[in-house]
Amino acid sequence: MIATLLYEFRMQIRKRSVWIVPALTLVLFVLIGGSLLRDLFDPAERPPEARLAVVGLAVQIHALLSIGFGCLLADRLVRDDRLRVAPILDATPASPGARLVGKYLGAGAATAVPIAVAFFGFATAYAGSSGSWSALPWALAVFGAVMVPGLLFVAAFALTVPLIMPAPLFRVLFVGYWLWGNVVTPDLMPTLSRTVLNPLGGYPMAALFDFAGIDGDDQWAGPFPGATLNFLRPEPTPLIAWLSIALLLVLAAAALTGGHLARLAERTRS
Amino acid sequence: MLGPPIAVAVGVLAAVANPVPSDTNTARVLIGALEMALPLTAGVACASLVGRDPAVEIQLAVPTPYRETLLRRTVVTLGWAALVAALTAAVLIATGWWARWPDNHGVIAGQLTWAAPTLALGGLGLAAAAVSRSPGAAGALVTTVWAIQQFFAGLAQQHLPGRMLYLFATTRGADPADWTANRLTLIAVAVALVALALVVLGRSERLISEDDE
Amino acid sequence: MRIEIAGLTKTFRGGVAALDGLDLTVPTGMFGLLGANGAGKTTLMRILAGIARPTAGRVTVGGHDLATTAGRHAVQRGLGYLPQDLGVYPDLTARQFLDYVALLKGLDDPTVRRRRVGELLEVVALTGQANRRLRGFSGGMRQRVGIAQALLADPRLLIVDEPTAGLDPEERIRFRTLLSQFAGDRTVLLSTHIVDDIAQTCREVAVLSRGRLAFRGTVESLTREAAGRVWSLTTAGPPPPDGTVVSALPAAEGGMRYRIVAATAPGPTAQPLEPALEDGYLTVAAPERSALNA
Ligand SMILES: Nc1ncnc2c1ncn2[C@@H]1O[C@H](COP(=O)(O)OP(=O)(O)O)[C@@H](O)[C@H]1O
Ligand SMILES: [Mg+2]
Repeated sequence: MIATLLYEFRMQIRKRSVWIVPALTLVLFVLIGGSLLRDLFDPAERPPEARLAVVGLAVQIHALLSIGFGCLLADRLVRDDRLRVAPILDATPASPGARLVGKYLGAGAATAVPIAVAFFGFATAYAGSSGSWSALPWALAVFGAVMVPGLLFVAAFALTVPLIMPAPLFRVLFVGYWLWGNVVTPDLMPTLSRTVLNPLGGYPMAALFDFAGIDGDDQWAGPFPGATLNFLRPEPTPLIAWLSIALLLVLAAAALTGGHLARLAERTRS
Repeated sequence: MLGPPIAVAVGVLAAVANPVPSDTNTARVLIGALEMALPLTAGVACASLVGRDPAVEIQLAVPTPYRETLLRRTVVTLGWAALVAALTAAVLIATGWWARWPDNHGVIAGQLTWAAPTLALGGLGLAAAAVSRSPGAAGALVTTVWAIQQFFAGLAQQHLPGRMLYLFATTRGADPADWTANRLTLIAVAVALVALALVVLGRSERLISEDDE
Repeated sequence: MRIEIAGLTKTFRGGVAALDGLDLTVPTGMFGLLGANGAGKTTLMRILAGIARPTAGRVTVGGHDLATTAGRHAVQRGLGYLPQDLGVYPDLTARQFLDYVALLKGLDDPTVRRRRVGELLEVVALTGQANRRLRGFSGGMRQRVGIAQALLADPRLLIVDEPTAGLDPEERIRFRTLLSQFAGDRTVLLSTHIVDDIAQTCREVAVLSRGRLAFRGTVESLTREAAGRVWSLTTAGPPPPDGTVVSALPAAEGGMRYRIVAATAPGPTAQPLEPALEDGYLTVAAPERSALNA
């Protein structure tokens, strides 16, 4: 599994598109306004605390770059069959399950590297310009508690869902889901956003980082008056936040297991 | 091929599930499906046209230029999306939902609601695919552009170039007066992107080496 | 159709020179191109098919200059090409696939096209499977679809790149017979690393080695290149260090009987043998080794 992981990492990180897509995304983001980025470096506009600045940065980077992340990973698994390496790999003693996990972690980590580079790059720049070096430990904490679980969740579905539908269709549905399940506010339509199932990490942000938007007037977790699915929005406490993270990881594992079983079934059929 | 009908179905579903049941809002969601969901599917479909052709060597060795073949595939893809969109629009017009959105820009010119963003995202997908030869990267770019304009609807339209390039000017537009110019700009951009794609695709050699994976 | 190649060089990114100043003339008829894997055969074929562009040098096919768009177009109108890595559309049936390629080759009249596709399915003995999807085709069947596709527009120039790799012996024999019958007054360029295929079909042959021309002449003269260099040696010990071992058989009297290509007798008990085409190929394709031996 470790070997698979390392090779998948190497193959993926060498792809130019893994770097170009996030880079272009950031360029677009900055062109369109990227008001938060500008605010971060403006002493008059920047949020009072390094913690708020860093979590706000994480939200934007995470929400934007995860889309490319999911799309780029979407054909990793079906590619083996297309490149006709699957029979070679199947004939090796490495168990298919371990190989799947290795591919998942390796390719996922490699695709996440540019995201981490962007995030920590901005965080460091912010720390330098504002002089609040406490931003860096906060950045590490947010990355681990909010971004990593979200990316693990996305990667699991991006790898396995294209086994049952064409990858382009998955990309469309994925971005639709991402918008609906993360950005749409619950008073607009029934949505999974702001629930414990939110891959953007509303609960950890609210409960572990005491974050309510850069200006303090957003609600990232907890029951929404009048919204449906409020049973998935308990009051945010640290325990619930950890549960939310665990839930994302469990769902990711379930997706991988499902994909693994689907592949085995396919193998025995053909 | 499934994409456009699914996009419309999602739109209808969203309209039905709408918790703010004002007619205007429902009409907006329905027209929004034409302006947002459908162009997205068309764009991602166009992004998947280059780079994974198993018979590419045969295609390159026949007298019919491969880019002509790809252009034909693009036309089929976009034509299918257009057919679904036109039928949906016809149903919306016949049932009166079209008129319930105040910024509908009429029955005829109003069709630019879906035509302009469909062409723009289709052109973007094709150009990105031609340059990268990777449906993954091209699809990622299309979905990202689409999503950024969704996330930052206000910011994207703050300045003039952004307002002209905004994909959802009918249902989330900042200034209805700019609508016609916006639609025409998007179509012009689409034409430019397709031209770029055709130039890049003329260099056949790049197409036989596997995309950069 | 005559192919004239002068000073042809193809350098890939990273500095790999797949073709290195190649000069070659290919006449009408069946012509064999031999070379080890990586010798540059596929690169040459792709350039001739108008798919890849040379880095330097001049190529004309039937008088058309491949450096111009018009020239490439003219060549492609009379070209049949069977790529080494034949890919097909798995969701199409054999008949649909051929019909599609025929369209791309400009056979616009539907009745003519249908007739032509039917004829070729007959030629490659796939009429029975014509309406099955290509997804389920075996390697040999796929290759037959490939050759049918190449022959569709009755090409003046047929380029086939290692077509017999992966075929069973009967399929191979049928395949190369088909090619010889087809050749006639057309040009058929057959690239392979299987010497036997050339021996059975071509009068003339070129050998590529590391992007350069190592030999050009008739099959007989290639065989003669090995005259006086082929030996039989029976020994219980290891094979002699210099020379190329062509075959090794357990001898009836014990030990091994080796067939060796070497400039000088590899041992006092070595017996000279009549050269075969394979010996000639080994002589010219491995010049640095032969030079070492000499
Ligand atoms: N697209 C390519 N990029 C880089 N090098 C290549 C490419 N195609 C072929 N080569 C190199 O060119 C040489 C000749 O390859 P090829 O023409 O495929 O040989 P052959 O068909 O005789 O086996 C090889 O060393 C190969 O590695
Ligand atoms: Mg080859």
